[in-house]
Amino acid sequence: MNTVVCIKQVPDTETLIKVQGAGIVTEGIKWVMNPYDEFAVEEALQQKEKMKAGAVTIVSLGPDRAIEAIRTGLAMGADTAVHINDAAYYDKADPYATAAALAAAVKGLQYDAIFLGKQAIDDDAAQVPAILAEMLGIPAVTMVVKFEVAADKSTATVTREIEGGQAVVEVPLPAVFSAQKGLNEPRYASLPGIMKAKKKPVDVKTAADLGVSEGPKTVVKEMTLPPARQAGKVIAGDDAAAKAKELARILHEEVKIV
Amino acid sequence: MHGSGAEISREVFWNILGPGFPTEQVLLYVLVVIAFLLFFHGLAKSGFFTRMKAVTSAQGPDVERVNNAWDRFWYMVVDVFGHRKILREPYQGVFHLFIFWGFIALAITTAIVFLQADVIWPIWHVWFMEGNFYLGLSLFADVFGLVAIVGILMAMARRYFMKPTWLDEKGEDKVILWFILAILVTGFVVEALRIQATETDPASPMNPYIWFSPVGRTVAFLFSGMSMDALRDTHVVLWWTHVLGALGFIVFIAYSKLLHIVMTPVNIFLRPDTPQPPIKVMPPEMFENAETFGIHNLEEYSWKDLFDTEACMRCGRCVEVCPAFNTDKPLMPRDVIQNIRTYMENKAKFALDADGNYRIIPDEEYTGPALIGDGIEKDTIWACTTCMACVEACPAYILQFPKLIDLRRYLVMMESDFPAEVMDVFKGMENNSNPWSIGAHTRADWAKGLDVPLLSEKGEAEYLFYVGCAGAFDDLNKKVAVSLAKIFKAAGLDFAILGTEEGCCGDSAKKIGNEYVYQALAMANIETFKAYNVNKIITMCPHGYTVLKHDYKDLGGNFQVFHYTEILDKLIKQGKITLKQPIENLGTITYHDSCYLGRYNKIYDQPRDILKALKSGRLVEMKSNHAKSFCCGAGGGRMWMEEDLGTRINQKRTQEAEASGAKTICTACPFCYTMLSDGIKELELSEKLQAFDIAQLVAKAAGLDQNTNKAGNEDEQEAAN
Repeated sequence: MNTVVCIKQVPDTETLIKVQGAGIVTEGIKWVMNPYDEFAVEEALQQKEKMKAGAVTIVSLGPDRAIEAIRTGLAMGADTAVHINDAAYYDKADPYATAAALAAAVKGLQYDAIFLGKQAIDDDAAQVPAILAEMLGIPAVTMVVKFEVAADKSTATVTREIEGGQAVVEVPLPAVFSAQKGLNEPRYASLPGIMKAKKKPVDVKTAADLGVSEGPKTVVKEMTLPPARQAGKVIAGDDAAAKAKELARILHEEVKIV
Repeated sequence: MHGSGAEISREVFWNILGPGFPTEQVLLYVLVVIAFLLFFHGLAKSGFFTRMKAVTSAQGPDVERVNNAWDRFWYMVVDVFGHRKILREPYQGVFHLFIFWGFIALAITTAIVFLQADVIWPIWHVWFMEGNFYLGLSLFADVFGLVAIVGILMAMARRYFMKPTWLDEKGEDKVILWFILAILVTGFVVEALRIQATETDPASPMNPYIWFSPVGRTVAFLFSGMSMDALRDTHVVLWWTHVLGALGFIVFIAYSKLLHIVMTPVNIFLRPDTPQPPIKVMPPEMFENAETFGIHNLEEYSWKDLFDTEACMRCGRCVEVCPAFNTDKPLMPRDVIQNIRTYMENKAKFALDADGNYRIIPDEEYTGPALIGDGIEKDTIWACTTCMACVEACPAYILQFPKLIDLRRYLVMMESDFPAEVMDVFKGMENNSNPWSIGAHTRADWAKGLDVPLLSEKGEAEYLFYVGCAGAFDDLNKKVAVSLAKIFKAAGLDFAILGTEEGCCGDSAKKIGNEYVYQALAMANIETFKAYNVNKIITMCPHGYTVLKHDYKDLGGNFQVFHYTEILDKLIKQGKITLKQPIENLGTITYHDSCYLGRYNKIYDQPRDILKALKSGRLVEMKSNHAKSFCCGAGGGRMWMEEDLGTRINQKRTQEAEASGAKTICTACPFCYTMLSDGIKELELSEKLQAFDIAQLVAKAAGLDQNTNKAGNEDEQEAAN
């Protein structure tokens, strides 16, 4: 089975984020592969291993630095990659423009399935899988926690996470799948994998090369950080009943949640 | 016949040789030659030569083994004859010493008799075995023969009555002691029969000196009623029995653990003789050109790794001290070595072609039991805390736990096969340079408001205070970092920290087997240190101390590294820190030796000297202390792994602290501090026990801790704040 995995490089979840205008300061940030995309890569690799055939291609839109995330995917075991290295396009890209670039890159590839993370943990839009499927004219199944392919590769039986439960969906291939946590346990790249990844082919393209000129449909106007966490409050006193009363008062009058 | 005519002597071969041609004497030496031939035959039969082919065909790199040959030789001589390491365990040490010296003394006596009777007398007709020399020799042999018997009886008492759980009980173990005892007892009986026959007669010139064979003389009383003929007949039979027993012993060496008589001294000579931790160095170039990392295959071993397994006599001292074994985990260092030996033997036999030629066979071709999985289980590999107690205890200088690190390296770097919880640790180290996976930008947050000088602002300082991840990110240990910063400032030490420029030392990655990540972290630190011309470094954590001091050298980082206890001890002794306030509520205190401070770096006295200088509580020792200290359970990356097999190591150590009668456990290692604090909570001992890092106590005693001068319960303190 041939698969394509679209990945995004995002700031590490623990890294210090500083807002500047409508974006963030990109210097001093530790960049990693979007954690949900790791599930996507892992699933593609497991399907390839199960079928003992096919290739896994990584596709990513991002500036020069995105190559690190691409190499991580290749180190995990993906075979080739397409790097849409276009900083100008990337800087302005919203989910629509991102999907357009990915769709253009994917069009020339052989694939039975396209995997993505369910969302990128930086902008949290969670739109790219669906828009990409629409642009390619194929079905999309989101929030996938279990994935099985029929022997003839004509359909996939997929378990989706839904509110409070699970749903099993059958879908004709090719299709787009977005990975949710629980789909698998992403592997840690082995050292030979890391060494080999350095030599694996990466096809570098610009938006112009791919013939995409779709502008973003949305523009970020402003970005703010959440307010700093307040210090905890200790309700002092010896009388438990009085303390409980005070707690209720604070929750009702000050925090206004009761 | 040796008719020397000397009166104060004895006739060698008395009652053995007939008149005329000494047939029996010739027969004896034919038997000796046969025994030695059978010894070599036995080596072949027991697979020794096949295994040696595997040893000599090993491909793995090894270090210098015969440099300073003279020093190595003398070290070996002192170790073998003085039992330096064997006496570390008094009971086992003494009985081995007794058996060993009995064996040596009787071998010397036999050699002297041989020289006299078979070399010097036949050639020169000189008889020196007479008079005082003879009497002395007689006494010497008798006393040491008895000493050997006492040793054997002590060993039997251990094997059959004390029955320690870690003692192996294979077939040969059931035989060896009885065999040696039989040889010794028949020797004395033969002597007694001769004495009864030739020396008890008051007319015998030897009669006045009969007690120079005290054991033989005493045993002879048993035979006082026997006729001369009966004495002579019994003597002949037992003499040959004794001789055949002794020669049989030589043959038996080849087939059994007794081969350690030969192999162990050799291994002592070949021992690692540097202060480096005994873990294999992987040169950074390896990551550019090597195909495989770590060990999962026979040929990847170095010859010395495999030779180690030949020197093991299964004594079990490594098992006795192993924290994993002592908490019911599936790890016995001895069995790791023995299993590698069995694997070597299996594969070596497999590798012999029809003509008996050894060839190195590719992995795929070998279908016998594998090393990882069949020989050594993964649970065994991951149970090790790298506490080094096994290496420290081993009288044969075998490196047990480093062989598990070799296997971890293979599993981690080649197979990405490790306990699931370690994934986050690796990612934390890679992305945020700390195993806690906390944002790297918060590394210096512990120092906020303390006015701790930053190297980037100060430019240079005599000492770099390398805080390490625990002091920077772990809430409990941040307090220790704060205490140290306050003490250094108060003592006027010229120091600075790197702040967010500091990186993880990499020890956990290294010991989990991820040398690749370790070297990346180490290189980054070395680069930073060099950029600031750092020379002297103080570490808070013994793990960082160990890698910075020893392992960074292999990557080109040569720094003078100190653990904070070395610095505080010096500052106190120089009077630069005044411990003016006694600390209340400390009670009796005990010091828990960190493995990485103690066994890895031999720092035992400084922490204790500091505690004594506090003058705030009597210092008692736990049952396991100094080089025999018992691990807290956090080393070797175990800090980050679930401990779901057996019981918990930290609880066992906490119980030991409780049993010492101490109220306060003092540590000098953040991992130990965490593990023992947890142990107190888990065992609900907070009423009786408390844990502190030594630095916190020094800060309190020096009046640098504004909060309180009471060493109360941590939780109470926090509640009070």
